[in-house]
Amino acid sequence: MKNAEVVDLRQDTPEDLWKQEYRHQLPEEKPIHNRSGIEIKPLYTPADWDDSRYDEKLGYPGQLPMTRGIYSTMHRGRVWSQRQLIGFGTPEDYNRRLRKLLDAGNTAISLIPCNSVYRGYDIDEVDPKLLGTCGVMVNTVDDMDRCFRDVDIKSLSTAMNDPLPFTLLALLLAVARRRGVDWIHVSGTSNQSDYISHYVANHMFFRLSLDGSRRVLVDHIAFCQEHVPNWNPLSIVGQHMQQAGATPAEAMAFTLATGIQYAEDCIARGMDPNKFLERFTFFFDISMSFFEEIAKCRAGRRIWQNIVRERFGAQNPKVWRFKFHGQTSGVDLTRQEPLNNIARVTVQAMAGVFTGLQSLHTDSYDEVLSAPTEEAARIAVATQNIIREEAHCSDVIDPLAGSYYVESLTDQMEEKILSIVAKIDDAGGMFKAVEKGMIQNWIGHSAMKFQESIESGQQTIVGVNKYTLDDESLSAKPLERPSATKVHNQLDTLKKYKANRNRSDYNRAISRLQQAAQDETQNVYGAIVEAICGGVTHGEVVHQIRQELGFGQPQTTI
Amino acid sequence: MSLPERYRPKVIVTKIGLDGHDRGSRIVATMLRDSGMEVVYTPPWQSISDVVRLAEEEDADIIGISSLATDHLLIPDLLEALRKSDLEHIGVIVGGIIPEEDENELLELGVSRVFHPGSALKEISSYVRTLAIEVRTKSLRKWESQNHEKC
Amino acid sequence: MIHTARTGNQTSAKSVLEKLHAGGRKSLARAITIVENNLEGRKEILKAISENIGNAHVIGVTGPPGVGKSTLIDACIPEIRKLGRTVAVLAVDPSSHISGGAILGDRVRMAQHGQDDGVFIRSVAARGHLGGLSTTALNIINLFDATVWNTIIVETVGTGQSEIEISELADTIIVVESPGRGDEIQAIKAGMLEIADIVVVNKSDMPDADSTLSDLRQAIALRHASKSPLLLKTIASSGEGISELIDSVHQIGDEQDHSNRLNSKLGRMHKLVARNLGEAVEQELLNSDDEAISQLIRRIFIGEIDTDRIAQEIKSYVGRFSDFPSE
Repeated sequence: MKNAEVVDLRQDTPEDLWKQEYRHQLPEEKPIHNRSGIEIKPLYTPADWDDSRYDEKLGYPGQLPMTRGIYSTMHRGRVWSQRQLIGFGTPEDYNRRLRKLLDAGNTAISLIPCNSVYRGYDIDEVDPKLLGTCGVMVNTVDDMDRCFRDVDIKSLSTAMNDPLPFTLLALLLAVARRRGVDWIHVSGTSNQSDYISHYVANHMFFRLSLDGSRRVLVDHIAFCQEHVPNWNPLSIVGQHMQQAGATPAEAMAFTLATGIQYAEDCIARGMDPNKFLERFTFFFDISMSFFEEIAKCRAGRRIWQNIVRERFGAQNPKVWRFKFHGQTSGVDLTRQEPLNNIARVTVQAMAGVFTGLQSLHTDSYDEVLSAPTEEAARIAVATQNIIREEAHCSDVIDPLAGSYYVESLTDQMEEKILSIVAKIDDAGGMFKAVEKGMIQNWIGHSAMKFQESIESGQQTIVGVNKYTLDDESLSAKPLERPSATKVHNQLDTLKKYKANRNRSDYNRAISRLQQAAQDETQNVYGAIVEAICGGVTHGEVVHQIRQELGFGQPQTTI
Repeated sequence: MSLPERYRPKVIVTKIGLDGHDRGSRIVATMLRDSGMEVVYTPPWQSISDVVRLAEEEDADIIGISSLATDHLLIPDLLEALRKSDLEHIGVIVGGIIPEEDENELLELGVSRVFHPGSALKEISSYVRTLAIEVRTKSLRKWESQNHEKC
Repeated sequence: MIHTARTGNQTSAKSVLEKLHAGGRKSLARAITIVENNLEGRKEILKAISENIGNAHVIGVTGPPGVGKSTLIDACIPEIRKLGRTVAVLAVDPSSHISGGAILGDRVRMAQHGQDDGVFIRSVAARGHLGGLSTTALNIINLFDATVWNTIIVETVGTGQSEIEISELADTIIVVESPGRGDEIQAIKAGMLEIADIVVVNKSDMPDADSTLSDLRQAIALRHASKSPLLLKTIASSGEGISELIDSVHQIGDEQDHSNRLNSKLGRMHKLVARNLGEAVEQELLNSDDEAISQLIRRIFIGEIDTDRIAQEIKSYVGRFSDFPSE
């Protein structure tokens, strides 16, 4: 009841006045949430974040709590790596494209193998129609040698899409040995080494049973630490989970929980976290949700240093660094009016740069139409250069720090991520949670929810559910396919390679591989590298390892 | 012969070939279930003979193929295999990333429809339901007439 | 008795059956669709097959979700095939309570028999209509039985009454458990041990397999039942324990000859019909908003009539079943 006698002596503050005015003008406004489900207010003020917490929450670049970046100079000292994904056709095709890139001054390169390789087969085991359309056909040491013909392996950092049991790295090491290059000089990253993300979110790369994968990964990390010290044996991939439908907060939490699991597995093997963690790298999706992505990665950095120090007691400051690669989000691109995707990729790439990432891949605008064309790939690279050198987006380190909104959102994302990590801890860790199907359900649920928000129009997708055009003019180019002759020749080369091997050497290599797989005290990855050096092919190794350690059966529950 | 009003279409949602990106097939399978259909969902990498066998034993109305890389290049072989097994009455739809010229070829060869990224799930489900009922009605009529001839 | 009542013209029944044989897998698949969806031709098919059942050995496999039933069946199939027997599998998946749709995912875990003509796998959704599932499942089992299938495996998730009913349609019932399910194991102790001929602890290489085994052993011992189920260990993924399981299944199966299989099948059908009718009456009484029912309740309430009297009336109707008109 209103009492007319009582007069409120307090004056309305400017904030009160703003609130009243806002509500007056937008009385019916529905709350807005970001993809992770955090409510986004119309205005953020010092009430949401103030500088008194600067040292505790932000600090300086390269210092705890790492929020502002993992190096003191960040992008001023070193431009993030721009990696173009390459891989198509025959080893000769790959070599041609690689040398073009190297001539243009690139040193960070990638190798994308053919889908048959991803599935663990040699090219003579699959339908020839599918060969070489998505990546390079590489099965043998000879093939890998031809991929890198007239190229100095020592001068490169090679990111290879190389799922367990890492036959491509073994092929590369075999080439190095053949050329007399010490393995110390081989550098790069085993991308697609995170089998947990494959099992829950992207079956493309899932080759071995969960238990088998668990052992091979730890062996691989141990092997690289000892013999290939400049190689990053592990990239933990939040990108798969987010592409499969996890929210940004979920994707970050699942990735951190996976990192914890792998680290614990290594520690259980007697390895030193101060050493092996230095080579852990991460890989995230950068979606259209601009501020949310920036907050996600800043929060991730802050959480990881804490995990590494508190859980694993790591003292080495180098392992406190949360090194990550970002990729713009393919699922956010649309088939309708595909040139709009250039704008989308630009926004995503800017978010990526503002997160302080270590390397970035920008998607080609036409990859929803078919495999990317060379022209579209060029535009994708140019986008990064424009952001950096024309727009000067990376001149200042962590430029959004101190924004009431960004800092408040970073805190809220951190809280959300930590609560999910805690749930996974309660379930007994990531491996157990995955075995139980818990993570998969989570992702499936979020994927469905996001799709529903698009269909209800709550989330706008330009050209799809809003601002649509009747006239759908596509500039889709036909699929690039290697000629039948090339495929035939490559098959022929493989046939000759297999026929020319010494039968008894081959048998010996296979039986050594079997022995190593059956004996848990041996490093099975060391045996794989030796088998490959001894002439066993990629497909033969995967086949053997699948027999010994179990085939990777995909999840069938929905 | 008419179908009961509450007939539940039986749909196979699968992926053939080498690609393993299954977000799309999972979402579509879930959505078809949620709109009341019975969905045989398979993991990726099915062989053509696997799919034909599945379609035969399950007496499916529709086969939905999801393709994101270049696995759609195998769809003509699937259509041929279905024909050889006397299963050409089953409706085949495709979803995913299909280059335009390949799409036209698939439609000519007998694929009923190609859904692109960004298609509304409601549109997919209403299309599938209509096609399934059409397919089932036609094939039941044919089955009956064959059986009567033999009598 | 169902197989003699109104059988009608023998030759037409025979020709339906002959066509089923001649048409092979496709005809069988189509016949299942017709029976399952109550499509035209259902009656002719059911009539035809009723003449020719009781030959196959029906194995029910049930148990909680996630214990590896499909993988276990997948591992059993080659063992049964080695004995020269053909195998048909009926995989029952739950339907969504909200939409009525279903994901039929069990069969993809039995994918290794893709090209074996001696194996036939079919999925059906539970659909959740009252009692209907058991009747449908029975009809499909009979379809397999009447055609070329020697061993029929019926897989259901053992969580509801109707699933337990389906496994009761089998000659041999296998209840599957797995370690590491903690307190959830209580559920199986309660309902499923009653119906099991064999209890299998699958995934027995898991750490707490031994405690699961001893829990189950204890539960079986406490039952004081005349016949105790056999307790076996398997690791379906590696094939361990599978041949022992199949041996035991057949030992139990051998004790049943054709005539007592048929009789027990009819006995089970009797039970099933009684239970379904009982449930139907119960649902009708509970859900009907007919004024007559509220009248009746009021009259019972004031002691004007009692329920025994009404039951008498219903019982007297049973005597008139022989005149029950065909659909």
